[in-house]
This record gives sequence, structure tokens and C-alpha cells, in this order.
Amino acid sequence: MIWLTWRQMRAQTLWTLGLVAAAAAYLIYLAGDLRDTYRLTITDCTTACDDAKHAFADAFGPGLLLIGLVLIAGPALIGAFWAAPLITRELETGTHRLVWNQSVTRTRWLAVKLTVVGGVSVALTGGLSLLLSWAAEPFDGLVNSRFEPLTFASRDLAPFGYALLAFTLGLVVGVLARRTLVAMAVTLLAFAAFQLLMANAVRPHFAEPVTETIEWSDANTVGQIDSFGIGPQGAGIQGYTIPGAWVVSDHITVYKGDGTEVTEDDITSCGSTPDECMTALDASFEVTYQPADRYWEFQWIELGVAAGLSAVLAGVAFWRIPRGLN
Amino acid sequence: MSTPVLSTTALTKRYGRHTALAETTLDIPAGRIVGLVGPNGAGKSTLLALAAGLIRPTSGHIEVLGRTPAADAAQLARVGFVAQDTPVYAGLSVADHLRLGEHLNPAWDRRFAQARIAQIGLDPAKKAGRLSGGQKAQLALTLAAAKRPELLIFDEPVAALDPLARRAFLQNLMAFVAELDISVILSSHLIGDVERVCDHLVVLAESRVQVAGEIDDLTANHHRIVGPRGSLDALPDGIHVIAADHTPRQSTLIVHDTTGRTTLDGAEPIGLEDMVLTYLHRAEGLTAPTLQETRA
Repeated sequence: MIWLTWRQMRAQTLWTLGLVAAAAAYLIYLAGDLRDTYRLTITDCTTACDDAKHAFADAFGPGLLLIGLVLIAGPALIGAFWAAPLITRELETGTHRLVWNQSVTRTRWLAVKLTVVGGVSVALTGGLSLLLSWAAEPFDGLVNSRFEPLTFASRDLAPFGYALLAFTLGLVVGVLARRTLVAMAVTLLAFAAFQLLMANAVRPHFAEPVTETIEWSDANTVGQIDSFGIGPQGAGIQGYTIPGAWVVSDHITVYKGDGTEVTEDDITSCGSTPDECMTALDASFEVTYQPADRYWEFQWIELGVAAGLSAVLAGVAFWRIPRGLN
Repeated sequence: MSTPVLSTTALTKRYGRHTALAETTLDIPAGRIVGLVGPNGAGKSTLLALAAGLIRPTSGHIEVLGRTPAADAAQLARVGFVAQDTPVYAGLSVADHLRLGEHLNPAWDRRFAQARIAQIGLDPAKKAGRLSGGQKAQLALTLAAAKRPELLIFDEPVAALDPLARRAFLQNLMAFVAELDISVILSSHLIGDVERVCDHLVVLAESRVQVAGEIDDLTANHHRIVGPRGSLDALPDGIHVIAADHTPRQSTLIVHDTTGRTTLDGAEPIGLEDMVLTYLHRAEGLTAPTLQETRA
């Protein structure tokens, strides 16, 4: 059974291996380049170090992002192009009636396909993820935004889970839809929906976020105010970043020392720079965020959610297949 | 060899509202070459797919060689199945198919498989997708036979073949059935083919079994009786009228003598094809046109 599975997947596996090897070679080259540059411009930095950091981030950001996107798209493509046709192509050509009448039960047939092809998918994706995580280490340490959706989804453990889920999803959709093109389309859409839902609706709730009141005077030592506006609606912070943490609040209202909102009049009547005015008003604001040290906890939960869904989907396939598709 | 190869009780398969097979009760003894005949859509493929365990019955019961079809690897090894249009992996070569058979069947007979491939002249390096219909059928047959099953099931093995390839395939089948000593069930809508190779017959029409039995018994016990109108109204017990046609002066009946030994006045033998057609017409609720024919 393993022989047949390999024989059927040989061509696709080889060219996918080629693509992954190319990506790996590029990553290894990038890792060396990145470390050399880091040592020269950041570690040995003497003057204008902030500019050097920005230049470093600008130089290596796009390359790492590109590989990250490949890693995010990879599982979806594996689900659509490997897993979905795995069973539908047999059904479409009628060869399931050949292979299901050899002395191998359908459960074993499915188990081997799932383990061998699914295993290769997870190993390739996961391997690339670990390689990227290692290559990007100095960069990620410097930029320190590991909860950023595209970074979180393309580092460490998360891609293992995505590969497993996309694969079982493609397989099950194939079993239920029975037609290759339909199964491929549904797999791509369903997996994209999963990614978007996880990043936007589910992942923020993995743990109860921390809410902290930050004095205006400490605002740029605890984190950094990306932009700040004063208008008729009052004063608000649009985007606040805390190194390594995931800030959940997007629009942050600023309050005065007496607990009322800072108004436009407070700032115009103050006569000084807005920053000095805020400090004079004893202003503060509340930030809700997931602390940086929850990164690994979140990675494990992300992996667990994907693995759990995969187990349910695999259960559906194992329930359906022996009951006959003809 | 006392266990029947196929035994069903009130076997029914429905797809949604459509009933593909209704209340089928059958008992087919071992060691036969069984022909399953009937028009397209009669339920032949459904019955065979149920026997191979590819699908499960909606209700009723089926046993193949005394066990539930496709229950486990051991049961799968006992039954060879060649599906309609004889599917093979287009991207794999003939040799790959033999390797597949060897990997997936513990009782695989390599010498038999290779001898057959050589005998029918298949190039082992050729991709199965480039074989002709007849060659594909031969390859599928080889795969099913070389796993050395006790029962071989063929669903319309010759439907897609031209007459020459069909004849060759059936001759080949007969030859190795004799060689391997196995039971065979094959479906066909060509009664001539069935008559040539089979010794047991099941007629299926409108999702139901119309008649089943040894072909020799069936032909011996079906008669055409022609007599004056009214003279055939009372028949002895055990004589079933399959079709009746009356003109003002005379009546023509086709009867099945289920006792097997009643002597009937004016009874003449009826060929297998006429007999099958009579059943098929009856199943469709039509008067059998064979009755109007005068026998040569």
C-alpha cells in the first residue's frame, strides 16, 4: 500500500521537493546574509543606530515576508492539489473499484494515504517553518512583533497545524464532493476562511487579554504611540504598540487625571505642545493586550486547534469511506 | 464447497427514491459460472457492487462465500472483482499494475500473472492508459485472477469490446476458470455470451430477480404449449404461466414447469434466449412478441 501511494504521488512529490529545496536554499543564503549584516550594522553600531535598525528591517523584511507568504499559501495549495484529488481522482477514473478490491481494507488504504501523503505535507511545511524561524531570528528579535498575523502564521509550530488541517480538509472535501475541481475550490475557500477567522476572531481570545492603564508620561517607554489625533470627538490614540505584545485595542481614548475624556478645548487652551499638555493634564489611557510571553502558549493553542479540527475531519473520512462510494 | 458463493435475503438497495435492487433473494451454489442477465438499469451492477462490498445494502442481507462482503482483508482476498469498463491506472505501466497486485495481495500468484501477460502479448513497459479496451480488460482480469480468489465477479466485462476482442476475452476466461477451479459471476446483456460460457443463470429486470437456476434445468423446464382456445385453462399444479397469447381459435403459453417432471401435451422446447426475453417482457408488463413468431 505504501508502495502504491508513493508510486501514485511520485511526480508531484518530486517537484514539490524541488520547490521546497529552492526555498530552503534561499533561506540558508538569507540567514547568512542577515547575520553578517546584523553584526556589521546593529551589533557594532556606533552612530545613528535607530536609522541602522530601520535600514536593516527594510532590507530583510520583504524577503522574509515572501517566504512567510509561501509558507502560509503552501498548506492551502497542498490541500487543494494533493489532498483533494487523492480520492476524487480515483472516483473519477473508477480506479477505486480496482484498488478497493485488492486484499487491503478501505480503512487501511485511507490510513496509509493519510499518513504517508499527509505526513510528507506536514514534514515539508513544518521543516520550512522551522528553517524560516531560525533564519529570521535576529530580524524577529529586532522588529519584535511576533504576534503580527503574517509572522505568527509562518513561524514555529503554527504551520505544522495548518499543513495537517489543510491536508485532512482537502481529503474530506474530496470524499464528500467526489469531484476534483469542486473539491479543490472548496478546500481553498474553506482553508482561507479558517486562516482569516483564526487571525481575526479566534486567536485574540485564546487567553483573557491584560488591560493596563498607562500614564501619558510613560507612554513611549512602555510602548510606542503610532499616531495620535485630537478632534471634536476628543483625543484618541490610533495604534499603540508594545514590544513583542499583541495590542488588541485599536482606538484608545485618553482620559484626564480627574477621569473625564480629554477634549479638543483642553489642548487648544493649554498653549503648549500636545505632548506637554497631556502630561500637564495628568492624562492616561487604557490598553488591552496579549503580553509577549504568551507567544509560545498561543503557538501551541493554534497547533492544538488545527490538530483537533484535523482529527474531526479525519474521523468523517474514516466513517464515510467504508460505507461505500460508488 | 457447500457454502453458497452468493446468498441474499430480501436484499434491497435504494438511491434516494430510486430503487436499484428490490427484495432480492438468491442462493448461488459454488463451482458455477453464473450469468447475470438483464437490460441496462435492471440492477445488475448494483447487485455485483453489493457482492463486492463496494456499497452497502439499504436493507436485507447478503453473504458472499459465507461472510459479509469486504468485511476484512481476508474476505477481500477471497473475491476478485472486475468493474464495468475495467478501470486501470492510466499513469501506471502494465508492470506497475502487477507490482501493485503483488504488494496488495498476500496470495498473489506472480508466475500466473506474468504468464498471462506474456500470453496475451501485453508489453510490461506500456502505460495502461495507452492500452486498447480489450487489453485493459485483459489486464484487469489478470489482476483479479492472480490474487487467486475463490470467486471472481465481472460486471459487463465485454460490453466495451468489439466482437473479436469479446470472443477472445471469453475464451481466455473459460480457459483459466478451468485452470484455477473457481466460481465466477458475470453480468452481461448479451444472452449469447452467457449461453456460451455460463452454466447457471440469473435473470434480473426492473430491480427484481425474474428467474434463477442451472441453465440446463431452466431450458429443460420451460416449454411453449400451443393448443385450442380454452383447452389450456386448467394446468397441473407446479406449472407457472410466464406468458400467454390468445387468438380466437388457439392459445399459446410459455410455461415454467417447477416440478421438473410433468409431461405436457403439445409442449415444445424453447431456447434460452426466448426464455429470457419472455421474462424480460413480463417484467416490463408487455406481451411477449416471441409468441407470435412461428418456429422454424
